[in-house]
Amino acid sequence: MAATKKILLACNAGMSTSLLVQKMQAEAKAEGLDYEIAAYPLAQALDHVSEANVLMLGPQIKYALDEAKEAAGDVPVTVIAMADYGRMNAKKVLADATAIMGE
Amino acid sequence: MADQDTAPAEEKESFLDKFAEVSAKVGNEVHLRSLRDAFATVMPIYILAGIAVLINNVVFPLFWASDSAELATAQYWGSAVTQGTLNVAAIILTGLIGYCFAKNKRFANPISCVVICIASMVIMFPHTITATLGSTLVATNASDSTAASISVALSDITASLPDGYAFTSAQVSGAFSTTNTGANGLFGAIIIGLLATSLFVKLSGIEKLKVNLGEGVPPAVADSFNVMFPMLLTLSIFAFVAALLNGFFATDLMTLISTGISNPLKGLMNAGPWAVVVIYTLANLLFCLGIHQSTISGVLAEPILTILIVDNMATYAAGGTIPVDHYMNMQIVNTFALIGGSGCTLMLLADTFIFSKNKASKNIAKLAVLPGIFNINEPVIYGYPIVYNLPLMIPFVLVPDIFIAATYGLTCAGLIAPCVVMVPWTTPVFVSGFLATAGDVRAVIWQVVEFALGMVIYFPFMKVSERVQAKEAEKDLAEESTPAAA
Repeated sequence: MAATKKILLACNAGMSTSLLVQKMQAEAKAEGLDYEIAAYPLAQALDHVSEANVLMLGPQIKYALDEAKEAAGDVPVTVIAMADYGRMNAKKVLADATAIMGE
Repeated sequence: MADQDTAPAEEKESFLDKFAEVSAKVGNEVHLRSLRDAFATVMPIYILAGIAVLINNVVFPLFWASDSAELATAQYWGSAVTQGTLNVAAIILTGLIGYCFAKNKRFANPISCVVICIASMVIMFPHTITATLGSTLVATNASDSTAASISVALSDITASLPDGYAFTSAQVSGAFSTTNTGANGLFGAIIIGLLATSLFVKLSGIEKLKVNLGEGVPPAVADSFNVMFPMLLTLSIFAFVAALLNGFFATDLMTLISTGISNPLKGLMNAGPWAVVVIYTLANLLFCLGIHQSTISGVLAEPILTILIVDNMATYAAGGTIPVDHYMNMQIVNTFALIGGSGCTLMLLADTFIFSKNKASKNIAKLAVLPGIFNINEPVIYGYPIVYNLPLMIPFVLVPDIFIAATYGLTCAGLIAPCVVMVPWTTPVFVSGFLATAGDVRAVIWQVVEFALGMVIYFPFMKVSERVQAKEAEKDLAEESTPAAA
């Protein structure tokens, strides 16, 4: 029994990303994945990053990638692709997260 | 390999990249970022104040229209909320700035900076304030402390004054003025908060000032001793400056900041709509490149515009008239130029639903309309998309600019009431105009006009964009709508 994997999403105010989180949670459930997914504004996300398996930034704060990487230490950090974010393509974002975290 | 066709395109891209890079630098600048973080944290307090002001001045009078004594009793509730929010806004903000700034500097003990900032700011307050008198004066016997005090009605002693004069205010000590603790003190809160934290963090880095308690002492205790000398030094330096200003210039730092910095900046924002229009032009252009507009607007405009609307709430709560130099404020942007989110994209969605034949656009519009009603529009910006989509970038930048300038003009012309209430930026259009102006229906009518105008402006650009994008979008959609293997 593998431990729950935590996916952390960060954006400007945590508003639009929370939409994506909802869709990702539904998608993870459908695929039978044991994931915990949460969204925070960037500053809060960086406080919680050590508990996560991956940190995904919304494209609107991609300029903060270096800062996030510095704060995240060993936790991998990535920026969600603009098109996937805009279309709220949860399936694709989830697949990207899974790929980064490894099986 | 650069042939002649691609050269200009490359040049344009490098300019935009440069712009994005510089903006990110500005938005990431640690002082400005800390300011933005602190304002984001304190926002609920201002929203609460707005709700209380509305209930006090718009709702309660409906119930107690005829009985002013009962109305005043009920309104004590709203005044109490105002007292705990607007009237101590500066004290709360300075503490938060200390905390956010210390955290962004990765300082080990950010909570101690809350103490430092509040103490430093209050050190800068004058010791005597000019207070408005109540209806009675109390006299005590200085030579006989057991003697009863005498209360005198203020109206009884006006006889000693020349005709037409009345006692209104007095110099008192043992009190803080809400001029310094409330909305007017916000600039002082920002400047002193940043200065005090910088000084304290610097002093804390000096090894010689640390108290070594030896092994076996709990780390939390050691931490509290470690900050002792830097704290003492920081506050002493601030107090020394306060003493100098008082002794040599008979003034105080809060007054200096208010006259020297705060008033000119507020004036700049209200010298026509131009400063705000320029800032939001840059901010919305940045969003067209995929980076959030608040990276620019959140650090250059929002703090000052927020202070202006907080001022207005305090003025309105106290029953005063909004001065002309406060007509431009945060609500003009959030209520009248952010309809459906940055770039007023709700009108683009309306156009899409009514006039578009493009399946991809319609699909995105369906997905984006619900968040759009609450002014959240990342799905539009990244999905429609607006980013790097030249035909739509033009109205995305232009429409908010027109609305900011026009709303300001209409306010100055007296055609709509000035904004006096801070409402959350997620408040839907039409409701927001009504609430922000404390119930001016003309503001709602103006929002309806804006909506129609926005649809007209967006329409031709949408058509051009669709012609450019139709083929690609259809191809994408075909790939996406392929059902996944069950």
